[in-house]
Amino acid sequence: MIFNRIFTTYTFRFMFSYVLVLGVAVFIMLAAVYALYSYEQFSRVQDSIEHELDQLQRHYQIAGAEGMQAYMASENERASISRFFYILVDADGRKIAGDLETWPSYREFGRGWLAFEREVLAWDGEAEHREFMARTRMMDDGRQLLVARHYSDLISNAKLMLRMLARGMLITIILGVIGGAWTSLTMLREVEAINRAVRAIMEGDLSERIPITGRGGDMEVLVLNFNSLLDRIQALMAGVRQVSDNIAHDLRTPLTRLRNHLSSLEQHCKPENREEVQAMLAEADGLLSTFNGLLRIAQVESGHRRAGFASVDLVAIVRDVVELYEPLAQDKQQNLQLSVLTDRLDIVGDRDLLFQAIANVLDNAIKYTPDAGHVRMVLRRDGQTGVIEVSDDGPGIPEEKYDKVFERFYRVEASRGQQPGNGLGLSLVSAVLKLHEGKIRLGRANPGLRVSLQFPL
Amino acid sequence: MHILLIEDDDAVATFIEKGLAGHGHSVDRANEGRQGRDMGMGKTHDVLIVDRMLPNLDGLSIISQLRQAGVNTPVLILSALGEVDDRVSGLKAGGDDYLVKPFAFDELLARVEALRRRQESIPRTRLKVADLEMDLLSHKVTRGGQNFNLQPREYRLLEYLMKHAGQVVTRTMLLENVWDYHFDPQTNVIDVHISRLRQKIDKEFEQQLLTTVRGVGYMLQDPADA
Repeated sequence: MIFNRIFTTYTFRFMFSYVLVLGVAVFIMLAAVYALYSYEQFSRVQDSIEHELDQLQRHYQIAGAEGMQAYMASENERASISRFFYILVDADGRKIAGDLETWPSYREFGRGWLAFEREVLAWDGEAEHREFMARTRMMDDGRQLLVARHYSDLISNAKLMLRMLARGMLITIILGVIGGAWTSLTMLREVEAINRAVRAIMEGDLSERIPITGRGGDMEVLVLNFNSLLDRIQALMAGVRQVSDNIAHDLRTPLTRLRNHLSSLEQHCKPENREEVQAMLAEADGLLSTFNGLLRIAQVESGHRRAGFASVDLVAIVRDVVELYEPLAQDKQQNLQLSVLTDRLDIVGDRDLLFQAIANVLDNAIKYTPDAGHVRMVLRRDGQTGVIEVSDDGPGIPEEKYDKVFERFYRVEASRGQQPGNGLGLSLVSAVLKLHEGKIRLGRANPGLRVSLQFPL
Repeated sequence: MHILLIEDDDAVATFIEKGLAGHGHSVDRANEGRQGRDMGMGKTHDVLIVDRMLPNLDGLSIISQLRQAGVNTPVLILSALGEVDDRVSGLKAGGDDYLVKPFAFDELLARVEALRRRQESIPRTRLKVADLEMDLLSHKVTRGGQNFNLQPREYRLLEYLMKHAGQVVTRTMLLENVWDYHFDPQTNVIDVHISRLRQKIDKEFEQQLLTTVRGVGYMLQDPADA
């Protein structure tokens, strides 16, 4: 899984082009080294041939052909892998001295340098075909001198060099690829860690931050930037919430006053107006209940209610909720079924808020389940988690809306106008669960919705 | 009823005073803690309404000092919203009921009247409203000789209504006292329970005892007393 992803990552693609460029660069560099090496070798051979020619010419001028021959003999006595071959001919091309049988037929390859091939006896007595490099020089008396040297050792040196360079390039590329894969794997791990952290934060508590490794570098800068982005998001969200909470708070008192006026008006108004006043009262009550809902959520989210936490038994609370709502289900001929699969589920929490949260979920289930439908409630222990599951026969919620329904005032399109409600019920449930470090999960109950409340025990 | 109102917010105090006076109650006012405590010590009031946040002496301290001095007058605590909604600490300090501001006046009135009744109630073994009778020892409920089979919760609901016969009780009061939860139902689930109870105790009778008070709550009342 992670290996598949390496090849698609930006890092790997970057490393791949890096290796490519590196390969080309190494190739060019090694080719230059090879060319320089060969050039150097050949010019040394050429220098030595020139030197030899100078020496021979000097001996010839002093002692004639005999002097030259003596020098040649002394030179050849010195054991050397690369001995020189000589021939001195007169103006008609007859051999006067030297260890080459005849004047070779050569080809010129520039600047007076000649090349020819000849069989020579190797050290083991076998005849070997060798390539020679040679240069001629005209003596003062019109005789011509040729000094030759075979250069197969240079060629084999160059070949060896070429092989080494080719291997070096291969190793460079292999190391480059391994290094690229390793670097991209390391980077990928770090990026993956950041991704995981960001996902967890977006899903869960927005007040959490990505942990900083302290190793410094670009990744840490990225993490710091992410964190400050989260700070901003949180501040903005808090700001929006604060504004709506402030509005709710500030409007509650005048609204209550209005309600009180309407209430006293209702008692004194003409009978023909009573119904209208009562409708206004109901309207005011609806508004107040929305404001109260908002403020209650804000209060729960503030965490102040933790101060009143005590040990409570979820089983008892669930039974009370079901007892309270059972008549509501019966009025709709619904079958409300409660399965308690555990004795007790003791958690530390706020009894009233837990009751409120469970009641909101059950209330929704009953509200959205058609008449004569089924509402099932299961209470069980799942390891170190207490689970309350409420499934219904209703229309359910499209999966892509699962996150949305916990937002304030959000209502699934289909239910707007059909069912009473202010879109705050599940927001409050979510806030209560968060306060208790629990989780709320939505799922399909085929056909309806399954809400699962999970509390750490 | 003679009521002592300890509240520093003049607008709220005037509003409460006017409302209570409109329902035939007389109101004494104190606008700071110490004065309120001293007036409360006189034991001349039927009910005290005490704001939690007061200058000089806060509401909860007033209540504890009164209780220590042996003053048992029922107390309704008022709490402003935004303060930590700690009903428990309010009730622990000796308060009898708790109401968060802002509130509908009907809610306040219903609670104040319920408090007076609590004070008057002496241990009784029988409750009676018109021809409806409840035996608190045998848990038997009868009307006109007919015996009703009530569920435990229905029994508690009826008991609460009978103890407050002739008074308006709000839905919140029923949730708090009969179900013992302080919460905000999204649906009028209480109405369904009331209508079931009504089915049992009222349906086959000519006189309807359990009536709905629109916009406020319910009242169990002997029509002859109305």
